Amino acid sequence: MKLLNGINSNKKSCQQGISSLGNGDLISDEKLTALVVDSDIICQVLEKAILESQGIQAQVVGSGRDAIDLLASGVNFDLIIIAMVLPIMNGVETTRQIRAMGIRSKMLGVTACSYERERRAFLDAGVDEFIEKPLTPQKLASVLREIRNA
Amino acid sequence: MDGVVQLQRQLLDYTTLLFQEGFLNDQFTQLQQLQDETNPDFVVEVVSLFFEDSERLLNELANTLDQQSIDFRKVDSHVHQLKGSSSSIGAQRVQNVCIAFRNFCDAQNTEGCLKCLQQVKNEYALVKNKLETLFQLEQQILAAGGSIPM
Repeated sequence: MKLLNGINSNKKSCQQGISSLGNGDLISDEKLTALVVDSDIICQVLEKAILESQGIQAQVVGSGRDAIDLLASGVNFDLIIIAMVLPIMNGVETTRQIRAMGIRSKMLGVTACSYERERRAFLDAGVDEFIEKPLTPQKLASVLREIRNA
Repeated sequence: MDGVVQLQRQLLDYTTLLFQEGFLNDQFTQLQQLQDETNPDFVVEVVSLFFEDSERLLNELANTLDQQSIDFRKVDSHVHQLKGSSSSIGAQRVQNVCIAFRNFCDAQNTEGCLKCLQQVKNEYALVKNKLETLFQLEQQILAAGGSIPM
């Protein structure tokens, strides 16, 4: 399936910091870049498609550990979209560790169901904003405006 | 050409009905807007992922709720995932049952959870059937040389 192949081919390119566009180039800093951290394949596909429809180069990883390893390798992103529920290390803990690494990228926390306590925990861990899934271009618009104006 | 026009009208009417009856919401329209010439099967592929994922989750929910000692955190985790994926494709009625389901998980109410499981299975079966019919109509239009009206 084309969508899954597109997501899976990201794994190696994610680790190498190479563009997911498949042309082997390093990620251009002309376009905004985003990292999607979500273990749900449907959300991975959807969020990547939405980001790319907004002209953003997007990479996808399926766990907090993969996100941290990628960021530790020196790859930078303008935006990190991170799910609350992740395997092994959840989104809150992953966010905490990413911020502890000194990474100041805009971080958007996403979850399917949010209680106030979960929202608070995610914001306290270091996400800049928090939304309920699904991600839509409208929900993304204000975040992108802030990044582009920064 | 009359045949194509009739099919197109049928598709539009059918889609409108799905929205009116609450099977689909605006998120489904968002998916359709992400489909283009570079990704002409985007909607079908994402919805197919939803079908696979939902069937897996429904099986896991049935198994988890069938245990002597129910692990409500596990039930909640599966429902959380199902809510996320159903909201991602705009399957409104499935999503609504998941909200109620999660409340019963929180209350550790076995009877409530079992009722919700049955409801979510029913709603999933209905929306699956509706979407398959919609995709078949689209295929008929394309086979007759027409284009899908938006």
